[in-house]
Amino acid sequence: MKTLLAWILWLWIALVIVGALWWAPPLPGFQAGPDSSRIVYFHVPMAWTSFVAFLAAGVFSALYLKRREPRRDAAATAAVQLGLAFGLLALVSGMIWAKIEWGEFWNFDPRQTTIVLALLFYTAYLVLRLAVADHETRRRLAAGYAVFGLVVAPFLFFVAPRVLGASLHPEPVINAERELKMDPAVLWVLLSGSAAFTALFFWMHSLQCRLAAIARRNGLEA
Amino acid sequence: MSSWLAEAAAVFAKDWRAELRTRFALNTLGLFAVTTLVVVSLALGPIGGSPNGPSVLSAVLWLILLFAATAGLPRLFVAEEETHTATALRLAATPSALFTGKLAYGLVLLLALEAITTPLYLAMVQLPVASPGLLVTVLAAGAVGLAAASTLVAVMVAQARARGTLFAVLLFPVLVPLLVMAVALTRQAVSGEPANVGLLPLVLYDASVIVAGLMLFPAMWNP
Repeated sequence: MKTLLAWILWLWIALVIVGALWWAPPLPGFQAGPDSSRIVYFHVPMAWTSFVAFLAAGVFSALYLKRREPRRDAAATAAVQLGLAFGLLALVSGMIWAKIEWGEFWNFDPRQTTIVLALLFYTAYLVLRLAVADHETRRRLAAGYAVFGLVVAPFLFFVAPRVLGASLHPEPVINAERELKMDPAVLWVLLSGSAAFTALFFWMHSLQCRLAAIARRNGLEA
Repeated sequence: MSSWLAEAAAVFAKDWRAELRTRFALNTLGLFAVTTLVVVSLALGPIGGSPNGPSVLSAVLWLILLFAATAGLPRLFVAEEETHTATALRLAATPSALFTGKLAYGLVLLLALEAITTPLYLAMVQLPVASPGLLVTVLAAGAVGLAAASTLVAVMVAQARARGTLFAVLLFPVLVPLLVMAVALTRQAVSGEPANVGLLPLVLYDASVIVAGLMLFPAMWNP
């Protein structure tokens, strides 16, 4: 069953790649050549997936604080590690695109700033884990820090853009006028790409959790 | 409730009595802040009147306060672990009352630091202030958030290794929203040009950090 699901995921990802590179039309309004805009089909799903991963890490951490089950903490750690990987890829792909399209790697874009701070926060989370020797204390402190981050995050998302000003990012799919300003093919590839990356995240996450469970059973906890 | 308040007040009084015997935190924090602002004013010169002056100087003021807090506030709980009084404190005080007492101690320390540093800073970099009332409000509201976040991070750091550096690493990402808002509002207070953020988000940040601290502290404090 699991193998079948994995194969469906690979097929799905292959379809997304084909859709992103050949099927969907290039986005209008970009100067650096029509095909450079195709990076959006990978950039947006990766940013979305890192957001899902960090949210999942917060939920797992809150669950750990409530029930004190080591597997919840292992799930939170795995989610943070994967979220960092996806977030870093989203940031780097965005910076490369910004260099090609707008001429600078760094534009003080609110979303750039937000994701850099999220990466800093979750790297600090991993550093905190390294700095505590006792297993139980490490789990407890790390979970508390992750939940604390979840409390502060809304200010980063809603207040920082107001202070930092204009963004290069377009409005979300659901915007103020409640209408879709996007080619349906573009939307299809973006949504199925996001679904594919999210499924990829949960698949990798389940592998990490199984690895952590095996390590715990054998007394090899990291 | 009244016994809870009495507990918090007792923690506050205990910390201040210990502090006034040695004056360690006051001296290190105060001297750190004064040294830094002398270095800053020598490096920047009297740029208070120049067009970019208010922007640069309000950012630097908050950086000085932030680093001074980073130098002093980990002591809140590290001292308890080092003198082996943490266990007695665990037995004696309700966690939320302990958090409140420590928060109040840190807040008074920060306010004292701001009262010394800010006038000296404004005078040395020759920065005129358009609305002193707003400046005082922003400094106070910023100190509340800074103290609350520091108290929660300090209790985590006290149970870890490499405490000094870890404190800064854990605290800064959490404090960025506060810093962004406080710097914008300080610029408004100094230059008189309205910032694109109000005082309300800053107060909301303070409130949410305090509530999060009260809820998370018992789990962070008790092993």
